[in-house]
Amino acid sequence: MSLPLTVIGGYLGAGKTTLINRLLAENHGLRLLILVNDFGAINIDASLIEAAEDDMIALSNGCVCCTMGADLFLAIGDILDRDQLPDHLIVEASGIADPSAIAQVALAEPDLEYGGIVTVVDAIEFDRLSQDTLIGAQVLGQVDVADVVLVSKTEGGLWPNNLDIEALALSDIDALGPLVCDISFTQFRRERSGHPSYIQWQVTDCIKVERSDLIEHLARRPTGLFRLKGFLPAPKEGIWEIQCVGRQVIVRPGTGPIGIVGIGLESRVRMSEINSWWEELNY
Amino acid sequence: MSNITVFAAKKFITMDPNTPEVTHVAVRDGRILALGGKECANEWGSVHHDDRLADTIVMPGLVEGHAHMMAGAVWKYAYVGYHDRIDPSGNLWRGLKDGSAVVAGLAEFADRLDFDEPIVGWGFDPIFLASERLSRIHLDEISSDRPIAIIFSNFHLMCVNSYALEMVGYDQHSNVEGVIKAPDGLPTGELQEMAAMFPIMRRLGIDFRGLSQSPDAILAYAQVAQRAGVTTITDLFSSMEDDDVDVMLRITNDNFPLRIVPVLGAMGDPVSFADKAERLAKRSTDKLRMGAVKLMTDGSIQGWTARVRWPGYLGGQPNGIWNTEPEMIYSLCAEMQARGIQMHIHVNGDQAAEVSLDAIQAALALNPGQGHRHVLQHCQMMDRDLYERAAELGCCVNIFSNHIWYFGDQHVALTLGEGRAARMDAARSALDAGLHIALHSDAPVTPLGPFFTAWCAVNRRTMSDRVLGSAQCLSVSEALYAITMGAAYTLKLDAEIGSISVGKRADFAILGDDPTSIDPMALKDVPVLGTVSGGRVHLL
Repeated sequence: MSLPLTVIGGYLGAGKTTLINRLLAENHGLRLLILVNDFGAINIDASLIEAAEDDMIALSNGCVCCTMGADLFLAIGDILDRDQLPDHLIVEASGIADPSAIAQVALAEPDLEYGGIVTVVDAIEFDRLSQDTLIGAQVLGQVDVADVVLVSKTEGGLWPNNLDIEALALSDIDALGPLVCDISFTQFRRERSGHPSYIQWQVTDCIKVERSDLIEHLARRPTGLFRLKGFLPAPKEGIWEIQCVGRQVIVRPGTGPIGIVGIGLESRVRMSEINSWWEELNY
Repeated sequence: MSNITVFAAKKFITMDPNTPEVTHVAVRDGRILALGGKECANEWGSVHHDDRLADTIVMPGLVEGHAHMMAGAVWKYAYVGYHDRIDPSGNLWRGLKDGSAVVAGLAEFADRLDFDEPIVGWGFDPIFLASERLSRIHLDEISSDRPIAIIFSNFHLMCVNSYALEMVGYDQHSNVEGVIKAPDGLPTGELQEMAAMFPIMRRLGIDFRGLSQSPDAILAYAQVAQRAGVTTITDLFSSMEDDDVDVMLRITNDNFPLRIVPVLGAMGDPVSFADKAERLAKRSTDKLRMGAVKLMTDGSIQGWTARVRWPGYLGGQPNGIWNTEPEMIYSLCAEMQARGIQMHIHVNGDQAAEVSLDAIQAALALNPGQGHRHVLQHCQMMDRDLYERAAELGCCVNIFSNHIWYFGDQHVALTLGEGRAARMDAARSALDAGLHIALHSDAPVTPLGPFFTAWCAVNRRTMSDRVLGSAQCLSVSEALYAITMGAAYTLKLDAEIGSISVGKRADFAILGDDPTSIDPMALKDVPVLGTVSGGRVHLL
């Protein structure tokens, strides 16, 4: 069993903590473990807190929020060595950090699974910050490596001019779980009725495809279909394990029941679009 | 027996202008009671004479203002660096000058391990090797049935053998950025940055933190210090959890030959780090001094991650990275200054120094007051104007002089070019600006050895034996002052250590030669015979 890891990136004040507060409070049914730099602005309804220590807050819904201490990788190692793993690990990157430098560990470590990079940008401040001579390059870098870019503070129709990449307004998303975490097919169905903003797509059979062709095809999928996961038959023998989050496409030998499930935002992608993209693979 | 001990030496070089040189020093309760001739303490009562140092030259215990605890315990791994180096037990490890020497050296080390133990090396630096890049193929020659990992000297890269790659499943399908692949699509064995190294480190039990906080690590640090004549040393980016402090308090007892100044790494919420620093300060003892904080700003010049001012890097590389947001540097400076907490601020590039000085200036405007002694650390590219500002703001500087020898040629050819390289680590400009200066090794990045560091500041030779920027050379006496009183000042310990003066701790470096009378080019070779810490003699 590997532990999915999602990294939340974004400059100081962009809204990372707001996102984390929402994730902690949301009814996604997952036992999240969230590693934060500090509890500063973490805001949890006191009635939900089951236990609290200097470096840990446990919630009655099974989620836990911890400070990461001086060494993030050490903290990740400690979590992996626990007897009972959480369902999903979320790491809040520091305001200047390159979130991919952290997320890469999920691609590297066999006991982790890549859950993506979600970068939050502030609609009011992004234009100024991204052109700042001191930090502009690093702020833009956080957006460049993101699998999903979320824009905060869009009230009154604000939108950053300098953001030339597909992004979603945080306020348009009623449930963050499916976007930020890996929600399995069954969990997703259970949750779906309450979250009309998502669509789910699935196939259960497929022709056998060469790895390089498959990677190329998956990379060309409709951009609104931001998560894909499952297993497809490989030519000759064997099975490809497939996992796509945003721009990240992973295809490697694996074992599991043939089929893929995908999640997209209803406002960004139509089912017919996904189906016709998938059909192309058969020709 | 009398509780006053009078030590005799050929010469005590005191670093105290009132009595620059004496032959006898009297010690009571671990502190200096009197100094002068044989009878110097007779007015205090009966004395007993200790002649163990009679044939030696004695200086104040040397003070290393910028090093890391890991410098001791990292020796549990095989040293495979380019330069000769001495381990904590005093064994010389010859520098390995090419790839095949590295392989041979490791194979020899492996013979001494249990057959199933991982083989781990450290200190490797390809920047000095002309031969082809180290790969798994070289390491497979040593063993194909146990894991091998070579940690590079910057601790950001490693090279592993095929067995280790297999353990973590790195193969042609891996799409991890830091897993370097050959043109044939297979991993070369080189792994870059923590994310790619993590699975190996986890499985081989390589733990950088364990190298810093275990009892063995603390004891090994003391051994390394003792060999270098150092009696007070920093651990300049410590995480200092409560358990760590308990361990350190237990180890650093009266018999421990070293005073450690762990400095809390502060990256994040200023108030919580200030709170923690205050809590730590309250637990300080004579041998363990806590309460200061370390700020990170930029990266390193040779890694092209330092933030530099115009005209940038020689090869047009992008302008480095911030490890702390400039805004956060301002917030941290404001909070620490308001709370009276001393800061040590890492600044390699000149832009990082400029932003840090701006932040200190802003903090002082909010909470005026001198006596803070915030220290800019490394200061590699600071020029006259930045040093003048540091002086105006009441800061001190700790300069990374060892870089001149180790990386000076690379800075000329690859990073900064002749003009700026010639005024790197500009100790002369700093003194001329009226600053209190220290000089440092950043051990284990370069070896701990204040006499070598002083030699660098005096002679400014590079590895190719050229003089890099003679205008910035210090005199021997200025350099010796910097590695004693200067460094003590930057740690706010100058009332207690740094010179042999009445009232100060009886901390000495015991030497086999007189650094003030030898050829300045021999300064780096002054033999260290041991130390005295709080009046207790610790000969090697």
